Amino acid sequence: MLWSGQSGHWLLQGMLTTLAISALGWILAAALGVLAGALRTVPWRPLRALATAYVEFFRNVPLLVWMFFWYFGVPPLLPEPVRQWLFDHSAEFWAGMVALGVYHGARMSEVIRSGIQAIPRTQFEAAVAMGLTTGQAYRLVIVPIALRLIVPPATSESLNLLKNSSVALTISVAELTFQTRQIETYTAKAIEALTAGTVIYLVLCLSIATIMARLERRFAIPGMIARGR
Amino acid sequence: MRRILALTLVLALGAAALAAPAWSQEGTLDKIAKTGVLTIGTRTASPPFAYVNKSNEWVGFSIDLVEQLIKPQVEKAVGKPIKVEKKESTPPTRIPLLSSNAVDLIAGTMTDTPQRRESVDFSLTFFYTGAQFLVKKGSPIRGVKDIAGKRIASQQGSTNAKIIREKYPQAQLREFPDQPAAFQALVQGQVDAYTNDGIQLYGLKAKAANPAQWEVVGDFYSEEPYGMAMRKGDAKFKQVVDAGLRHGFESGKYFELYDKWFGPKGEVPYPMTPQVKAYLLKQIGK
Repeated sequence: MLWSGQSGHWLLQGMLTTLAISALGWILAAALGVLAGALRTVPWRPLRALATAYVEFFRNVPLLVWMFFWYFGVPPLLPEPVRQWLFDHSAEFWAGMVALGVYHGARMSEVIRSGIQAIPRTQFEAAVAMGLTTGQAYRLVIVPIALRLIVPPATSESLNLLKNSSVALTISVAELTFQTRQIETYTAKAIEALTAGTVIYLVLCLSIATIMARLERRFAIPGMIARGR
Repeated sequence: MRRILALTLVLALGAAALAAPAWSQEGTLDKIAKTGVLTIGTRTASPPFAYVNKSNEWVGFSIDLVEQLIKPQVEKAVGKPIKVEKKESTPPTRIPLLSSNAVDLIAGTMTDTPQRRESVDFSLTFFYTGAQFLVKKGSPIRGVKDIAGKRIASQQGSTNAKIIREKYPQAQLREFPDQPAAFQALVQGQVDAYTNDGIQLYGLKAKAANPAQWEVVGDFYSEEPYGMAMRKGDAKFKQVVDAGLRHGFESGKYFELYDKWFGPKGEVPYPMTPQVKAYLLKQIGK
């Protein structure tokens, strides 16, 4: 019943919006996460302090507050033409995307930092001894190894990001949870709509988890305690 | 393994869905007789129907109707004094709250519609209004014919949002979970107008920091008779609720309360037109 006609169309639209906002948010989160995670371990204090400030500020305020902040707080600071343009081009979507990306970037950076700190110091020293600069050592040696180590926690974090995208409905982003509520108000079939939404989230998350598990096996570092089949 | 896990979860959810309707077997009056509490679902920011006032009290016209007209009838029916407890219920949550037994009566600003009647029962109509727009003074939007291409805020799950989506698809609809968020978006210019039932817009305007800056425009583009919603099929409880309202109309108590909130000295002056009065009285055959 729910998969056909108007309701099915809404669910599909909601799912696409959820995927779009999560995918873009994830790219932002991954970029910020790698950057901040790496900066928190570099041998130069001001950079470490900057990254720490970012992480602690953004992960210790609720996501809902960040949604309101990026949607209601930031636009008045922009110049008038930019603001009008944004308002006409789904400002709520971009605000939601940035809120998700920046918040999860802060959380992701901790995951990446733990990956980097699991690498023995000698690895870094060896890289430097071979004539690499600190930047090159990070880019070519440390970060690539760390990224392979942190696939499992990064998967959890990515799944959290996808599910947290539902908070964007508070700033009028028509994502999956929004659409299930919409169906509910049109048809008053609350339990069915919620079940449909739940199944879609479950399927999306399981697919992501499966892909990440493949990646984990594909990029496993030989010689580590890997028992994943 | 993963597949089995997924299957188990799906089955568990399905079972929960099937089990749900079994909760609402007991009649509402039996429940109230047992607990001594009538739980109503109402609003915190819909002046003057239900809102938290400056001295932090949860008050309003709908709440007064329950406490002064319906509560005495319920007490008579269950034969003992009862307490009225209030819970927040927004348009998207109110029907689930009602069907899950978390609240017994929705007394806020809920429009009685044929679609909603398929899942809940409504009391007699206790207020009559229609959808309009709240705009900044001097806005080019003067009514529903001017909204093509404009950004229009509405409340998620409201009848107005549904009408705009279906009949005026050229408008860019933005739906917010509650009134303060939608109004904030209007204040900041994220949207060009906020649509809701006229009386709610007057209420919002009266509460705004600078009421002169805002105006309510347009003819009613929908009819919004407000009713109190109850679980479907509980005829005994509906009879008691209706008796309370009927008594209010007959004794004039209802009109006193109307005057308290909507009269010239009320929270939101909104004089009752003769048509509306006739409409309300027609329900009780007068």
